Amino acid sequence: MKRIIHIALIDLKIMVSDKIFFFWTLIFPLIFIFIFGNIYKDDNVKAKAELVIVNKDVGKFGKYFEKKIESPDILIKSLKKEPVDYNRLLILPKDFSEKIKSRKPQQLLFKKNSNANVKAATQIEIKIIQGITKTITELLINSKSDDFFDNKIDFKDIINIKTINLNENSIKMPSGFDHVIPGILVQFIMMMVLVYGGIVVMMDRQMGRLTRILFSSTSIPELWAGKFLGRLLMGLLQAFILVFIGILFFNLNLGNNILAFLIILFFSMAIASLSILFGSVFRKEDLIVGMSVMSANIFAALGGCWWPIEFVPQTFKTIGMISPAYWAMDGFHKIIFFNKSLSDITLNIIVLLIYTLIFTILSIKFFKIKE
Amino acid sequence: MEKNILEIKNITKNYGDLRALDDFGFSINRGEIIGLLGPNGAGKTSLISILSGTLKDFSGSVSFLGEDLFKNRKLKNNMGIVPQDMAFYDDLNAIDNLMFWGGLYDISKKKLKERAIDLLKIVQLNDRAKEPIKNFSGGMKRRLNIAIGLIHEPELILLDEPTVGIDVQAKVSILEIIKDLGKNGISVIFTTHQLSEVEEICSRIIIMDKGKKLVEGTLKELIDIVGEKEIVEIKGEFSIKSMNDLKKNIEFAEVIAIKENYISLSFKNTDKIPDMMEMFFKNKIKVSDLKIKSPNLETVFLKFTGRSIRD
Repeated sequence: MKRIIHIALIDLKIMVSDKIFFFWTLIFPLIFIFIFGNIYKDDNVKAKAELVIVNKDVGKFGKYFEKKIESPDILIKSLKKEPVDYNRLLILPKDFSEKIKSRKPQQLLFKKNSNANVKAATQIEIKIIQGITKTITELLINSKSDDFFDNKIDFKDIINIKTINLNENSIKMPSGFDHVIPGILVQFIMMMVLVYGGIVVMMDRQMGRLTRILFSSTSIPELWAGKFLGRLLMGLLQAFILVFIGILFFNLNLGNNILAFLIILFFSMAIASLSILFGSVFRKEDLIVGMSVMSANIFAALGGCWWPIEFVPQTFKTIGMISPAYWAMDGFHKIIFFNKSLSDITLNIIVLLIYTLIFTILSIKFFKIKE
Repeated sequence: MEKNILEIKNITKNYGDLRALDDFGFSINRGEIIGLLGPNGAGKTSLISILSGTLKDFSGSVSFLGEDLFKNRKLKNNMGIVPQDMAFYDDLNAIDNLMFWGGLYDISKKKLKERAIDLLKIVQLNDRAKEPIKNFSGGMKRRLNIAIGLIHEPELILLDEPTVGIDVQAKVSILEIIKDLGKNGISVIFTTHQLSEVEEICSRIIIMDKGKKLVEGTLKELIDIVGEKEIVEIKGEFSIKSMNDLKKNIEFAEVIAIKENYISLSFKNTDKIPDMMEMFFKNKIKVSDLKIKSPNLETVFLKFTGRSIRD
């Protein structure tokens, strides 16, 4: 095992000591993150929805109702008169309290600017409905009381209403940096491991380094395992750099970190084997670079690294399943956006292991010590 | 007599119909430097590949330090191989390279570092230890290549043409290093095309061709085979056929080798050279150059292989 680690670490050292290593592993992915992150930014940033309330009520229930609508996600502006310019406006009439006390039905006027954000308007409508429901419920609980505000204070705010969206998937579309960073991470694991890993295997063979390693008591399986581990470490290093930067600067939330690590690990394993295969089959550096960049980009596009795969038509999604990146991205989305557990990503891990097995068999078959 | 540390017996290796090694064998004593001489395709590289364990499917046996080399993988820890290729990491420096290649053997990191520093002094690269190898000259790279083969302190080292493609100064430096290895008790098997190098440093010489060992012995023993004769090399305008026809009539000398426009002969008595020239003249053979030399390794090589080592 010591020799396997020793062989792996030299490949990692060669990659890290390359002068343009930090451009490829850090600067270039950051450019991608910046571009794609900003494309999806609106959905990611939780901006406060604005609501203007014109409270004309002469009683106490107007103010009380305003409190019921209050939420960290909502910015309430209380005005005496109806403004000319607003996004959303709620008017509480003069007899709002009076009608509540006398248990008479009443209508509240809620106006929306047609150009304003629909999602924010929906959020506020939900809060208003929640506020009405809470108020009515509290009134029912305190129905025997003559004066709601003087008696049974303890019962106030006892009601909490949570709005659950039954069709969660249709609303929660993976977006923002939490989608973009894993996507770029998957793409660049492929790029870096295939390019660097493939070239080093090819150069090792052509320069006689593989043969020289075997001059020691190292066996061919140990040599292959060392090369595999080296490429796995390359993938993990690339992932670590982007996750670190993501957490530090882009508030990246991977959901469950252990599950995220498992996805990165199994995905990197598949690409590590593919990298040895590329390095064994191709004899020219240009060919390895070309094939690696092309494969990484095709796999990235098909696998949903650049746009959420949930967003694309079913046919494209089905085609995308041939890409190992699909199974990694699908796993990431499950744990980041849909709060799924290990059992939900088991299939993803199994498929990534199957890719690893196929690429490993092929890379062992084509692994050559000499030209 | 010192005990053999390596004994190769009856090695035969075929590549399809081509026989690369044919019942080949020899042994080497501790501290001995053996020169393995042979033209291209003689089987030198096949032999080194078999000893390194990278070439399989052959018959015969190799005993190293009293054990079967191929049954005990750990024996390879006592053998150093310096390939003809500059098989190291050009982007890394000399120390990092030595640490990597040495790390493949069971040596502690501390000892390895000390050994790397010592070796860089021996190969005179200590002042360039932290410079990337890609900045090194050909001779410096060759010296590092040898240092890598020695990093794990082997008892036997195989050097596959270690002086190829370098200038005279670098060559002298490498030959000095090899001589010192022998003095320090390390056995050396050394393949080369340079006869002068073998004459200079080897205690024993093996001439091989077409996979067979043709002759083996010290330089003196080999020259004695040719005898105390003068060697005459003649260049001119003649074919191999015409010279072969003429050969029957040459009684006063022994023909060593005939090539296109070239013949070498050994004379017991150089007084007979004018008789030979007369014979050439009568047979309308044009002679452009004639050299009289004392027998040397080249003569021996020509005698046994029938061709020059550079052919």
